[in-house]
Amino acid sequence: MDRKAELERKKAKLQALRDEKEKRRREKEEKDLQEAKAGAPSEKDTRKDLDEMLSSLGVAPVSEVLSSLSSVTSVTSDQSGQTPDASLQPTLNGQNTKAKKQQTLSVVQVQVTNIQPKENVTYTKQTQTTSSGTHELRDAHATDYYVLTFGDAQGDDEDHSLSHLDHGGFHSKLPPGILPHGLPTVKEVAPAITPQEQKKDDIKQVKELSEEQKQMIILSEDFQRFVLRSGRVMERALSETVDIYTDYIGGSESDEGLDEKSHARLSLNRIFYDDRWSKNRCVTSFDWSTHFPELMVASYHNNEELPNEPDGVVVVWNTKFKKQTPEDVFHCQSAVMSTCFAKFHPNLILGGTYSGQIVLWDNRVQKRTPIQRTPLSSTAHTHPVYCLSMVGTQNAHNVISISSDGRLCSWSLDMLSAPQDTLELQQKQPKPIAVTCMSFLHDEVNNFVLGSEDGYVHSASRHGNRSGIIETYEKHLGPVTGISTHQSHTTAEFSHLFLTSSIDWTIKLWSLKDTKPLYSFEDNSDYVMDVAWSPIHPSLFAAVDGSGRLDLWNLNQDTEVPTCSVVVEGAPALNRVSWTPSGLHVTIGDESGKIYVYDVADNVAQPRMDEWQRFGTTLHELKMNTNEDFEDLDKSMSIPQQPLSLTGSSVA
Amino acid sequence: MSQEVEETLKRIQQHKGVVGTIVVNNEGVAVKSTLDNTSTVQYAGLMGQLADKARSVVRDLDPSNDLTFLRIRSKKHEIMIAPDKDFIMIVIQNPTD
Repeated sequence: MDRKAELERKKAKLQALRDEKEKRRREKEEKDLQEAKAGAPSEKDTRKDLDEMLSSLGVAPVSEVLSSLSSVTSVTSDQSGQTPDASLQPTLNGQNTKAKKQQTLSVVQVQVTNIQPKENVTYTKQTQTTSSGTHELRDAHATDYYVLTFGDAQGDDEDHSLSHLDHGGFHSKLPPGILPHGLPTVKEVAPAITPQEQKKDDIKQVKELSEEQKQMIILSEDFQRFVLRSGRVMERALSETVDIYTDYIGGSESDEGLDEKSHARLSLNRIFYDDRWSKNRCVTSFDWSTHFPELMVASYHNNEELPNEPDGVVVVWNTKFKKQTPEDVFHCQSAVMSTCFAKFHPNLILGGTYSGQIVLWDNRVQKRTPIQRTPLSSTAHTHPVYCLSMVGTQNAHNVISISSDGRLCSWSLDMLSAPQDTLELQQKQPKPIAVTCMSFLHDEVNNFVLGSEDGYVHSASRHGNRSGIIETYEKHLGPVTGISTHQSHTTAEFSHLFLTSSIDWTIKLWSLKDTKPLYSFEDNSDYVMDVAWSPIHPSLFAAVDGSGRLDLWNLNQDTEVPTCSVVVEGAPALNRVSWTPSGLHVTIGDESGKIYVYDVADNVAQPRMDEWQRFGTTLHELKMNTNEDFEDLDKSMSIPQQPLSLTGSSVA
Repeated sequence: MSQEVEETLKRIQQHKGVVGTIVVNNEGVAVKSTLDNTSTVQYAGLMGQLADKARSVVRDLDPSNDLTFLRIRSKKHEIMIAPDKDFIMIVIQNPTD
């Protein structure tokens, strides 16, 4: 019963609700009709469309915003009715129809101007600001230290700007999607820090090598190569003593020493000496590199005080840089008696040893021992190799070596296991010549001259129907120590000339055409150990002797006494002399391992224009005088075999 | 071989006016040094950076170019830096001596 009554009541209530609904619908229809009459579009549809449009653009739908805008007073809404914004229409619409009607009119009026702010829906700039505003880790770009922001400074967040709406000015009432326009503000952004930078800093502070690691690095080949190479550069750099800050205006340091030096015809430039490698070792030979004229190779005999050190040493010195240390050091078990650069291979150095081996070093390899050596066999040398020379051209060249038993071998650099050719140098009787020195004629690969221990001088040739000794010349009274052929330069006129030095205290000038010496220089009072023609001056040569004297002879000036002469400090016995390829310096090697480089004054070293012509005259005079002398000699004293050298000096 | 390295470094160190020699690896850590630890670390770090920068400058100016030697002349010292692929050699010299 109760339930029935209740059901009935509910039904009645429902009916009432339905009626009301129906009534409201009808009312609405009427209203719509009215509106349609007024020609206004359905507000609801517009609103819906707008919402859709906005949401598609990623902006909050108007309805949502409206709810947050509910605090806006009706007064402002009246005002906003005149604001040139169509999107505000719905706000008013929801409040009263009267205002709406007025508004529709005003909207039409102002819509024209309203487009512009809409353009201002100036997009993304703001989103940029929000993302970069904080001190976050970002990727660095070259130019992003400032970011342009439109509107006021706090407008970097939508919510933020909305909260200011209450006390906002004109533009603050603009809905969110649209930005208030104004002057752009420039905001500073903290400089970007790249992740790598941070990492690097960390590592540098942390890393520390243990002793073992260090040792590992030091022992690595890379490290060693680096130190050797950079060390070399560093030494050169260190020994550059030129002061680039020389002040010529301020200080008045006199250069008297320099002036004095320039007057001297021969002045000591530098000394090459290495405490470990050249001490107490006699300098046995020199050679100059053809590829690098500043490089000189010197070979050294053994050091008797240190039997544990290698017997033979070869050192490459550099005359270009002022560093005092050797460029390269090589060694082998047997004393090196002669050495030369392999003319056409800038890296190879050859040495002839006391044991008879020819050894080959390579400065590209990081070891100081020979990379190749010839065998000690009866087919090659079994006696000390005192003479070593490289002859030929780029495409056809040979190494020529002569040992003191008179055997000449020619080698190919590609094959050092056996000589290509051997030749026994013998005098007419089958007696080998104990060769002490040898020199090829200028620009010749076939003919050469050699000096021997018994004092004879010979000329010989490698090939031809008379290979071997061609001619034997008058003898020195003692072993021949050095021999030098004329460096003819321009003409072949003087290529037959050569000089010999001997233990008999003399230097003799010879011509290939004459078995008697052209002249004998007898100014020395000790063993003359070596002699060398100047490479640029036709009548100039240098000679050294056992008393420490270095003489320069210019035959055009004087044949009686040397043009200039110095005694090396300490008067060491000098063993070898050589000109630099430039002809402006003389290097001499002594018996204790020092090599002295002397500067030769320009007026002495450089030939004058007429020097060649004058030298021809000088030679002619010499020849005449010797002939006269011989005639005199034959007449006055009829002692046969009287050595010419003892009387020759009386002739001018 | 390592004896030769020692020899070379010793020769440089014995050169007139040389205050110190440091060899630094490419991470800026000193491998060999004749200076005390503090100055070594300081020189190694700073000179390593400087050499890197100098090299990048040279390379930026001309990509086919490379740094081979760096010499810094100051009132008190001359610092010479020989950079290489894996190592840097630094020599501090007192040129007035």
